[in-house]
Amino acid sequence: MTHVDAGDTAWLLTAAALVLLMAPGLALFYGGMVRSKAVLNMMMMTVGALAVILVVWVLFGYSLAFGDDLAGGLLGNPLQYAGLQSLLSSQADSWLTVPVILFAAFQGLFAVITGALVSGAVADRARFGAWLVFIAAWAVLVYAPVAHWVFDLDRDGHSGGWLVNKVGLVDFAGGTAVEICSGASALALALVVGTRVGFGKDPMRPHNLTLVMLGAGLLWFGWFGFNAGSALGANHSAAVVFVTTLCAGAAGSLGWLALERVRDGHATTLGAASGMVAGLVAITPSCGSVSPLGALVVGAAAGVVCALAVGLKYRWGYDDSLDVVGVHLVGGLVGTLAIGLLATAAAPTGVDGLFYGGGAGQLGRQAVGAGVVLVYAFTVSLLIARAVDRLMAFRVDEEHEITGIDLVIHAETAYDLHGASGARTGDFTLPKATEGPFRATDRRSID
Amino acid sequence: MDGYYTWMLVSASLVLLMTTPGLALFYGGMSRSTSVLNMMMMSLTALGVVGIVYVLWGWSMSYASSIPDAAGHTGAQIGMLFANPFSQFGLEGTDAHDYVFVAFQLTFAVITAALVSGALADRVRLSAWLVFLPIWVTLSYFPLAHMVWGGGFLSGVENGLAELVFGGGGGAAVAPIDYAGGTVVHINAGVAGLVLAVLVGKRLGFGREPVKPHNLTLTMIGAGLLWFGWFGFNVGSIVLTGATEQAKVDQFLTETGLVWVNTTVATCAAMLGWLLVEHLRDGKATSLGAASGVVAGLVAVTPACGALSPLGAIVLGAAAGVLCALAVGLKYRFGYDDSLDVVGVHLVGGLVGTVGVGFLATSGGLLYGDGLRQLVVQLLVALFAMTWSAVATLLVGLLVRVLVGWRIDEEAEVDGIDFAEHGETAYDLTATPTGRLTRNVGVTQLTGASRDRNT
Repeated sequence: MTHVDAGDTAWLLTAAALVLLMAPGLALFYGGMVRSKAVLNMMMMTVGALAVILVVWVLFGYSLAFGDDLAGGLLGNPLQYAGLQSLLSSQADSWLTVPVILFAAFQGLFAVITGALVSGAVADRARFGAWLVFIAAWAVLVYAPVAHWVFDLDRDGHSGGWLVNKVGLVDFAGGTAVEICSGASALALALVVGTRVGFGKDPMRPHNLTLVMLGAGLLWFGWFGFNAGSALGANHSAAVVFVTTLCAGAAGSLGWLALERVRDGHATTLGAASGMVAGLVAITPSCGSVSPLGALVVGAAAGVVCALAVGLKYRWGYDDSLDVVGVHLVGGLVGTLAIGLLATAAAPTGVDGLFYGGGAGQLGRQAVGAGVVLVYAFTVSLLIARAVDRLMAFRVDEEHEITGIDLVIHAETAYDLHGASGARTGDFTLPKATEGPFRATDRRSID
Repeated sequence: MDGYYTWMLVSASLVLLMTTPGLALFYGGMSRSTSVLNMMMMSLTALGVVGIVYVLWGWSMSYASSIPDAAGHTGAQIGMLFANPFSQFGLEGTDAHDYVFVAFQLTFAVITAALVSGALADRVRLSAWLVFLPIWVTLSYFPLAHMVWGGGFLSGVENGLAELVFGGGGGAAVAPIDYAGGTVVHINAGVAGLVLAVLVGKRLGFGREPVKPHNLTLTMIGAGLLWFGWFGFNVGSIVLTGATEQAKVDQFLTETGLVWVNTTVATCAAMLGWLLVEHLRDGKATSLGAASGVVAGLVAVTPACGALSPLGAIVLGAAAGVLCALAVGLKYRFGYDDSLDVVGVHLVGGLVGTVGVGFLATSGGLLYGDGLRQLVVQLLVALFAMTWSAVATLLVGLLVRVLVGWRIDEEAEVDGIDFAEHGETAYDLTATPTGRLTRNVGVTQLTGASRDRNT
């Protein structure tokens, strides 16, 4: 039995806020990568996921994931913490050094980020309403069970999920539950929704790489809350995780750039940002079980492998628009399996991998965990997406997609820079804003 | 001291936020729209390269002689200039309780290197920058960090510079003051920027064609994030010296608040000081001036934030704002192309802060009636750091010139370095449909029309 510790609580409050900051980070990261006519919709999918998943999480998602196990480590009791009602009392705070209700919020933000990540697979073409319905069902049927399997530890008087307790999977901050889960779900969604008009033929360049860089920077900043916060305390395992997270992001960035330089002759900004994210993805499961040098290896490997993997969508023809599969699924697999090879007992988790004399057993456990989550998330997401598509059609009309989803779905456009320099080109003139009865920014004109 | 650990974890994250995206946006917005990506890439790759080098030998070279490893061994100190780079190579054997300190110091090395890139806008090959980074931090940053914070020549130890001048016996009577890196970070980066600007040469058209910032909103976001991150930089630089646990808690609870307040008021004063100069000189207070003034104030208060009263911090900040606003004009007079004012803001601001401590320190400052000794020590330390940084940077800069060459082709520079070096351009805004709805035009009609325009 422990007591609530002020320092640990201060750190987890901060860490939860950092993970929340990853949502706007992701919105900017994704928003900059799409074309200028779809940036608002891209950001709205993240904001929508944030809103929907948090509501579901408070109602019964947290109970599904962290309630007492119903059967075989598969699912928690959905009514146990419904509405987080029973966590209001300080009597609940018996198994952590932080208030349990704070832990519930922290875990809820993980669900948000995982759901928002999936949206990268359906840029430019998904109806907003269909997305909201999909993501609500997904949070209940995909994320909450997987989080139960991976994150819910056994303790006195509580039985948790099967992967972490029975199989012995090591996943510090969500290589399986977050990265592989979001990547596999994104693959399923991309297959159901289909390719964008012009995919593989027309160039679809990122419209604003400065937004991508801003987003990538905020993601890395937030990732410290994600990884080091998962230590659930301000202690030295949080510090070790912090350093390994730094190492892997840096090495991932360099690995991706090196590959680009060799293959294409240019080291690109988009590559630097993507490599950074790839390194961070890979270190997410392994941050507590490798040394700083091991983290450099994990990060660099993820940078190189993910840079190769993002090309697969063109070969196989699935339109994973913003590379959720190439970065999160592949990077998550790299990181999760790397634990089986590079884990060292000197790190906080205390497990030895194959290269540190621990034998192949841990590698096998990691492979089982990764494989189970991959197959489950892919299958169930495929079914949900099919159902939503049949129920309400997932895609916008082709004509609307060509016009730009921002204007059609949200009745807004992201930029109006015509007045900025006075150097307008083209043969038409716009009416002065003051002359027209309404401007696009005036919401009332839509109703 | 769980609370201390918490704060250090937050601080290290905050300092990382200063480099990417803070500094990348601040610099990126100030460059041209054809070179913004290259500007951001220099910050990002600084993080990539220096982050790794720091773990490999940077930590060991800076602190191995003053902070023992897990087994209690300290590494050798070499001539009071740096520590044995191999005694904790790759953090082998580093005490796990020091990891959070490693993380915090790592982010300092990263941002110092990234700051230098501001002198090199629009014209430097990425490969040259990538070769420069690891050698420069090894020859310039790590030794200075050791000298100032790791018990080396510029700290208050026995046989250090301060003790050689004013004596003391077993430690300087008047120890140099550098709370969070006025010499190690800002003077160092500023001098390196100056040396490289001269070595690499001017941009085409420098001083003749106007080079306007292409996106001041990015610069404003960047300045805001820098200020936010700077609380980690300054307030996180506390070193607990108390003998007992209670003494440490007391120090933590009192010192952090003062440093936060000093950091804030100095920055406010510097912003106003810069705007005042602009208004008197040019008739307009600009947003670029406000953003630059913010950074100038933060730079100046960095070494001084633990030694001043809040009133002293206001005076120091105002002085930094005014002096830096005047100093950024020097590059046109002397003809060095310090493109984004690393010299004007970081070298000059760092000097204002480091020397200003000699006047304004509540204990030891000239204006508080404690004589000239602190001022002399601060001046000597600043001079030594400038000399060290200049020589080291010159060596590395010449080496890079011989090995890879600094500049891109003239043609590529005119067309824009983003496309030449990275094969990308930052913006593609041509496809935005014109989003003006009027009462008479429904969405379908309008979207049809805008599609026609696009095709």
